[in-house]
Amino acid sequence: MGKQAMRLLIVDDENRFLETTEKLLAKKGYEAITAASGEEALEKLSVHPVHVVILDVKMPGMDGNQVLKEIKRRHPLVEVIMLTGHATVESAIDGLKAGAADYLMKPADINELVAKAEEAFSRRRQVEEKIRVAQIRHTTGSARRILDETGD
Amino acid sequence: MASMTLVPLIPFLCVMAIGYRYFAQALETSTLSAMERIVADHRRMIDSFLSERRADLEFITRAYRFEQVSRPEVLSELFDNLQRASHAYVDLGIFDTNGVHVAYIGPYSLTGKVYKETEWFREAERRGYYISDVFLGYRNIPHFVVAVCRNSPRGQWMIRATIDSLLFNDLVKEVRLGKTGEAYVINSEGVLQTNRRSGGDLMQTLDDPVERPETQDQIRTFLAKDARSESYLYATALLKGGEWMLVARQEQSDAFSALYSAAYLILFISGIGGVVVVVIAQFMTGRIVRHMERTDAEKDRLRYQLIGAARLVELGEMAAGFAHEVNNPLQIIRNEQSLMEMNLAELPLPETGNEEGPLAEIHDSLAQIRLQIDRCAEITQAILKFGRQQEPRIREIDLGGVISETAAMVANKIHIHGIVYTEEIDPTAPPVASDPAQLQQVFLNLFNNAVDAVIERHGSSGGKLRVEVYAGKNGTADVRVEDNGTGIAPENMEKIFSPFFTTKPVGKGSGLGLSVCYGIVDNLGGTMAVESRQGEGTAFLLRFPGAGSPDKAEK
Repeated sequence: MGKQAMRLLIVDDENRFLETTEKLLAKKGYEAITAASGEEALEKLSVHPVHVVILDVKMPGMDGNQVLKEIKRRHPLVEVIMLTGHATVESAIDGLKAGAADYLMKPADINELVAKAEEAFSRRRQVEEKIRVAQIRHTTGSARRILDETGD
Repeated sequence: MASMTLVPLIPFLCVMAIGYRYFAQALETSTLSAMERIVADHRRMIDSFLSERRADLEFITRAYRFEQVSRPEVLSELFDNLQRASHAYVDLGIFDTNGVHVAYIGPYSLTGKVYKETEWFREAERRGYYISDVFLGYRNIPHFVVAVCRNSPRGQWMIRATIDSLLFNDLVKEVRLGKTGEAYVINSEGVLQTNRRSGGDLMQTLDDPVERPETQDQIRTFLAKDARSESYLYATALLKGGEWMLVARQEQSDAFSALYSAAYLILFISGIGGVVVVVIAQFMTGRIVRHMERTDAEKDRLRYQLIGAARLVELGEMAAGFAHEVNNPLQIIRNEQSLMEMNLAELPLPETGNEEGPLAEIHDSLAQIRLQIDRCAEITQAILKFGRQQEPRIREIDLGGVISETAAMVANKIHIHGIVYTEEIDPTAPPVASDPAQLQQVFLNLFNNAVDAVIERHGSSGGKLRVEVYAGKNGTADVRVEDNGTGIAPENMEKIFSPFFTTKPVGKGSGLGLSVCYGIVDNLGGTMAVESRQGEGTAFLLRFPGAGSPDKAEK
């Protein structure tokens, strides 16, 4: 089990933004999928394993905050970075309270986006690591069983 | 201004004119009534003098018979008795029915003369009595005669007395009215029956245009010019059954001399009063005009604020919506630009070594696009800050502390440009319930603006920045941020709180600083106003409700 590459999901109602961001991320060596609405994002999340979601706050249909809550409910380990057209801390705070990892203000630079995504991803990995350690401790109650399992 | 000065004069002059008119009328009335009274009194005296004399003689004709009075000793005794009653009696005579002078007591020898055909005799026969006009006797003493006719059953006889008219001449002559007032008696032909003080001897005929009263009892007053064309006030009354006329007159200028002196006094007072009124009006008008100018200036300033407040709310909402919408395309442009840069970097490039080639230009353009996107982003973020205020995190704070902290942030800039910074914090100023971070942004903006304005005017020395915190009315905490910089042009006063209004060169200021300040202060429940004189400096006045007051920040 080697070091996992970060996989991203970009959610925005602007198609051109999705396309270009996907290309940029690809050039930087990241795998990204896109969704043009909150509903589509939830669908794709249930199929594709994703580490970090970049989520636009203002969208037709389900808006960013609703989608965020839903993601956190269904996939608590997925990190979400809110992308907002508002420069206000206010909406960012709402997002952070609801469990977002961070927020980005439009127009955000691709490097900034990647940096924040990486940060969130590493946090996610730390959390996963802790979970794994905890699981190991839990299971080392019978070392033999582990030996048995690995010995297979 | 001229009308304001002259208008107060109008009632003043009206009062003067009305006063003069009524005074003139009252004076004329009183002068005329004084003359009427004199005329009436003297008419009564003269008439009673004449009728007393007639009554004397009538008494004799009834008490004595013709035979008795024809006797010189009886007549002499009667004459003595008459003289005791009045010294005016000069002589006394008795005439029989044929007009023969049968008895005479007096200084002349007239006995035996026949008067049958004389006018007085015929008149006395006809009317029963006769009173003559005045004439001068041999001794040049004014006289008149009174004759009474007696028709007894035994025949007609007559008694006649000559009477010295000096008595009523003196009586009339004594009349004095002012300097020129006088009285005299004339007969129906205008012949003087008494002397006249202003010239005119007894028996002289006057040709003054004297108007006769219409009835015996009437007293006539009128204004006329005499023969020497002097204006006189006249009062006339009939005497002696209309044969004589008593005239009293006074020169008009004399009669109205009190009026004339009153008129001069009025003119004098009018003159002085007028000057005083004009001076006071001028002074008061000046004061009122100055006061109005001040009020107008005040109103203008208030208007700036009101326009600002009303417009800013609308503008803020519109601008925020606009900024939000612009951010989306801006995001796409930024990504596209990044993509172009990356693609360009990946292209297999012909190594020409030419730095000036089209490739270098494309790199330059891309860099410029990135720069301009950043600039747009800054603007939209500033607009969003201004338009959509963040929820303030309210706590009780001390304005002085916030100001000192903020001043420390710009202390370096202030120091470098040689600006003298003074801070006056009144410890009695109440604490305010506010958001320290937002207040800091407000003061930072104000300080930066002030420093820029001061540098523009003074360069690196002579600048002043003064901050004062004090307790305002109604429990507010007031802040005054004052500089001696370039000031604000009057035509810009209305716009300084408007978003995007700036007098700084392109790229130097977004024009949002003061509108953000205004928005924040307004959001915190405070007010913000500005006072400025171009070339002298600017003062911003901020007023925050005290922490304890009920109308503190709400949202």
